[in-house]
Amino acid sequence: MFKKILIANRGEIAIRIMRACKELDIKTVAVYSDADKNSLHVQHADEAIHIGAASPKESYLNADKLIQAAHASKADAIHPGYGFLSENASFAAAVASAQLAFIGPSADSIRAMGDKSESKIAMKKAGVPTVPGYEGLSSEAEFKKAADEIGYPVLVKASAGGGGKGMRVVHSESELSEALESARREALNSFGDERLLIEKYLADAHHIEFQVFGDQHGHLVHLFERECSVQRRHQKIIEETPSPLLTPALRKEMGEAAVKAAKAVNYYNAGTIEFIVDPDTMQYYFLEMNTRLQVEHPVTELTTGLDLVQWQIRVAAGEHFPYSQAQLTQRGHAIECRVYAEDPANGFLPSTGKLLQYIEPKGPGIRVDSGFTAGNEVTHFYDPLLAKLIVHGEFRELSIQKMQSALREFIVHGVVTNIDFMQSVLTHEDFSDGKVTTRWVEKTLDSGSLLPPTQKRASALHIITAALADLTIVNRKSSIENRNEPDPYSPWKQLNGFRN
Amino acid sequence: MKITFDQTVIDLTPQGKSYRATVGDQTVDVEIVRAKEGQLELLIDGERVTAYVSSDGTKRWVTVNGQTLMLTKPAASAKRRGSGHDHGSGLVTPMPGLVRSVNIEEGEAVMKGQTLLVLEAMKMEIRIQAPRDGLVKKLLVKQGQTVEREQVLIEIE
Repeated sequence: MFKKILIANRGEIAIRIMRACKELDIKTVAVYSDADKNSLHVQHADEAIHIGAASPKESYLNADKLIQAAHASKADAIHPGYGFLSENASFAAAVASAQLAFIGPSADSIRAMGDKSESKIAMKKAGVPTVPGYEGLSSEAEFKKAADEIGYPVLVKASAGGGGKGMRVVHSESELSEALESARREALNSFGDERLLIEKYLADAHHIEFQVFGDQHGHLVHLFERECSVQRRHQKIIEETPSPLLTPALRKEMGEAAVKAAKAVNYYNAGTIEFIVDPDTMQYYFLEMNTRLQVEHPVTELTTGLDLVQWQIRVAAGEHFPYSQAQLTQRGHAIECRVYAEDPANGFLPSTGKLLQYIEPKGPGIRVDSGFTAGNEVTHFYDPLLAKLIVHGEFRELSIQKMQSALREFIVHGVVTNIDFMQSVLTHEDFSDGKVTTRWVEKTLDSGSLLPPTQKRASALHIITAALADLTIVNRKSSIENRNEPDPYSPWKQLNGFRN
Repeated sequence: MKITFDQTVIDLTPQGKSYRATVGDQTVDVEIVRAKEGQLELLIDGERVTAYVSSDGTKRWVTVNGQTLMLTKPAASAKRRGSGHDHGSGLVTPMPGLVRSVNIEEGEAVMKGQTLLVLEAMKMEIRIQAPRDGLVKKLLVKQGQTVEREQVLIEIE
């Protein structure tokens, strides 16, 4: 087993991985940029190494600096987390040739699946259903011709892409040129590769993915599905398992297709096969494979009872994964809500600032994977994910209730969050009916039926509370004048005087 | 005494241990049961409510019954803060970021919805579009420049 692991990431996922290391009695090394000196992940590690400026290119995306840091700290393995270099085949290869273990699949598997065009071709060959479309086009005229053949709306996306970056939905020919240009630019900027592919855009589809897991001895299973259809900007915000859409028969069929897809690229470690499912025809199509740990892995952990990160480390160290497909079952229902510093009322634009208050919910069946604490700064350099709130209940309705209750107890002040927005998604009847598709958020927002129903009554209470808090300042200002106070309007400096 | 938030006036009158609070046509009795850093336990018409309040200049972040609102006090009561981004004709940055491209020039006529410039922040592209038809009076940023939140980018007349 490894003695020391360097975590080439930041935020909640770095902390999640460090927890697994500690449980396995492995020392941890954090890396951090200028912007992350005081971040929580640095404090969780046994040691921390500064790797550069705030811009990801100078730090978390700098393979040389990460490998140097691993050598300097005498780590014997690197866990890449998700995002950053986690799906970069050259990084995985560089780690291996630096005599370090890469906690993830082989560089060859990453390469085969990392390219959306190549992987689609490989899946077609392996007999896994794929979305109708074209790969390998370059001129605008070729794209235009392809779009006409497929029929609008179409989706253009970066061959090297992921996470919704470098992806554009094109509704008509007039939008195609600008979409190609901006998708190309975003792709080049995010992935250093501007190739795009084009395919039919299935607007009213469910996004359902299968977790796969394998060891380095040829054993690979699936760990069931995650329903991830609640999305904005093509990024997931609420995930759950089991999916309310799948029948046992379809679950089995898709699970087998996922295993076939992963085996086609000799996959090992944790990976995810993403499918889209048309609810009208119940037809499913391979979308892409994520060759890394997913953000939403906790819902799978809670329902299968497996610690995926521990197993990632163990199989990377050469252990056998001991469970057969028949031994694996789903127990209960789990939901994850991604708490983002972003403003749903303003196009989900990220919100930056200092966390004035940050209180997480607690209780049976409630898990919070978070990367922030009160006083931390949310900067514009990185993804605005504050925390993941995950609940586990006996069945779906109970999980939804548990999530609603937990979200009410999640207090974040200082940045705008999507907490109230997720609350209104959870109370919407389309969500309880399991009818949410990937375009649902956009459509439902446009129709105006996604507003918090109690907003109006609540705001009188809010104003009363704010006024009472302020009154305490008025009371004390007559008696005490503290010029050194960083915020003279803070109501929390002299509450005793008020209460007397 | 009267306190104003977001154009709503609230009247608070002390009554022994509690306060009588009036907002619009709503009047409630409020008692503070306990107060600690950032947190107030209230009895509102006899109903126990835990509220969370944070203060940042003129802003108040308030959570009651799981709902968070950001309220603003009128600027007059907080002159120490650099408030007043009152640029009627200006387009301001929604968030800090980098100017990826500038698609217009000073003096150019623009149409509502036209993409004027593209910002990049948190690895996303944000298109700044013209809110209405008009003329670009001033272009205050250039490609490659880093911009702060609420910085004026373009003035349109």
